[in-house]
Amino acid sequence: MEELINKIKGSIELSTDAEVYLRSIAKEKELVKGETLIREGYGVSSIYFVTDGCLRSYCIDKKGKEHTLQFGIRNWWISDYIAIHSNELASLTVECLTESSVIEFNAEKLNGILTLFPEYEPFQRNLLERHLVSLQKRILNQLQLTALERYDLFLAQYPDIEHYTRNYHIASYLGITQESLSRVRVEKARQ
Amino acid sequence: MNTKDTMQALQLIKYGPIEESLAFNEVARPALQVTDVLIEVRAAAINPIDKSIILGNLQSLLPISFPRTVAYDVSGIVVEKGKDEADFEVGDLVYARVPQTQMGTIANYVAVNANAVSKKPGNISFEEAASIPLAGLTALQSLRYAGTKEGDVVLIHAGSGGVGSFAIQYAKAKGAYVYTTTSTTNVRWVSDLGADRVIDYKTEDYKTIVADVDIVFDTLGKHYTMEAFQVIKEGGMVVSVAGPIDEENSKIFGMVDYKLPDELTNLIDERTASYKFIFMHPNGVHLAEIKALIEDGKIKPIIDKVYPFHESIEAFSHLASGRAKGKIVIQIS
Repeated sequence: MEELINKIKGSIELSTDAEVYLRSIAKEKELVKGETLIREGYGVSSIYFVTDGCLRSYCIDKKGKEHTLQFGIRNWWISDYIAIHSNELASLTVECLTESSVIEFNAEKLNGILTLFPEYEPFQRNLLERHLVSLQKRILNQLQLTALERYDLFLAQYPDIEHYTRNYHIASYLGITQESLSRVRVEKARQ
Repeated sequence: MNTKDTMQALQLIKYGPIEESLAFNEVARPALQVTDVLIEVRAAAINPIDKSIILGNLQSLLPISFPRTVAYDVSGIVVEKGKDEADFEVGDLVYARVPQTQMGTIANYVAVNANAVSKKPGNISFEEAASIPLAGLTALQSLRYAGTKEGDVVLIHAGSGGVGSFAIQYAKAKGAYVYTTTSTTNVRWVSDLGADRVIDYKTEDYKTIVADVDIVFDTLGKHYTMEAFQVIKEGGMVVSVAGPIDEENSKIFGMVDYKLPDELTNLIDERTASYKFIFMHPNGVHLAEIKALIEDGKIKPIIDKVYPFHESIEAFSHLASGRAKGKIVIQIS
C-alpha cells in the first residue's frame, strides 16, 4: 500500500483526508498461484493494483481456446474495465500465474474519491490516459510490426515474464501461433 | 419428466453391428454424487474400445445393461458440482476420461467423479481436448510405469494410432529416442510428431532395425508381444495394453490360478526382461500433467475428423473402417 500511496503522492498533492479514505477502501490480498480474481460470466466490482507477482487476463472463444489480453505485474492495474464501465458480467477471467499480492479497490468507491477529493482527479486521468496509450500502441504494433519486433517490445515491457508464463500465454498475447513463437525465438537467438 | 431434466444421448440398445445397435434417445440428466461434477458436454471422442463394446466383444469383461449411453472421453464446462466437491468451480473448462460406471459422454451432460477430471489445456479447443484423455492416459501411464526418461530408447508400435501418436510425443518430451512403426501413407506425419526413426512396416522389418531397446510399448498384442523380447535389451521392460494380463494384475481380478502363457514366460526369462500389462485408469492428476505438456507445445492433439452430434453413428462407422489418421471427435454443442 505504501508504494501505491507514494506513487500517487509523486504525481499530486494528496491530502491527509484523501489518503485516509484511500486506505479505508483498500483491501490487501495475498493470492496463490492459480487463484482467480475475476471470472468470465460473473459480476465484477473491483479493480486491482498488483504489488507483487504476475496475473493474466484472458477470454475464451467459442471453441474453448484462451486468448491472453493482458499481463498484470508489479505496479500495474488489472480488471475487466468493460464490465465495470457498462455494469455487465465479466467477459474476461483474471488469474494468478504466480503467488501474488494485490490491493483490491471497489470500483464505485474508488470513483467516489473524485467527488470527495477533486485533487485526486489528475492522478486518475493520467492513469486512464496511460492505459489508453498502452492499448493504442498495442493495436498499432499489431498492425505495423513484425512478430519479432512485437516479441522484443513484449520482453522489454515485461522483464522475466517468461519464467511464469506458458508458451501459449505469450503466443496468444502476441497474436501468433505457438509454432510462430518458436520461430521468433530462434530468429532472436540468431541476432 | 420435466424437459429441463432430460437430455439427448447416443445409446447402445443391443450388441451388434454399429448401424443397428445405436440410437438417439431422450433420457434423464445424470444424477450427481457428492464428489461429482456435472459437465455440459461440448465434445466427446470415440475410441476402439467403444467399437468393441458395441459389437459385444467385451460383454463379459464390461457387462452393461441396455440402453446405455456410450463413450468415455469428454471436454466441456462444469455447470454443477456435488456438495462435497471442492476442486472445481462452476464455469471451469475441463476434460476427462470418465470412470466405467459413469460411461456415456455422447450426451448433453455427464456426471463425473472429480478425481477423473482436470481443467482442460487453455490453448486447444473443446474438440481437441476431448481427443486426449483415454489415449493420453493409456500412453502416459504405460510409459511412466516403464520409467521412461531422458536417453532411453523406446519402441512404440502403431505410431499413427491415437495411443501411439500421443506416446511418441510424450516419450520425446521426456527426452527418449523413439522408434516407431507405421504404414507408408503415415510415415511423413508420424515423423513430424518427432519420432527419431519411423519404420514403414510395409517395406521394412522392424526386427532387423531395432535392437536392445530399453522399453517396448506394445499396443498391438498377439505376436508383437512375443517379438518385443527379440528387440528388448537385457533388463529392459515391455509394457503392453494388448497382450496377456500379467500375474500380479490377475490376482487383483481374483484369477487365482492364472499363469502367463509359457511362451511369454520363457522369453521374459531368456532376456531377464520385465513384462507388465497396463490397465489404463481415469486420473485427473495425470490429465493435469498432460495439460501442462500441451500448453507448452510439447504434445499436440491429432484430429482426423469432427462429426456433429446428429452424425455420431457415422462417426463410429468411420472409426470401424480403420482409416482414420488421428482421433475421431463428436461436437455435441
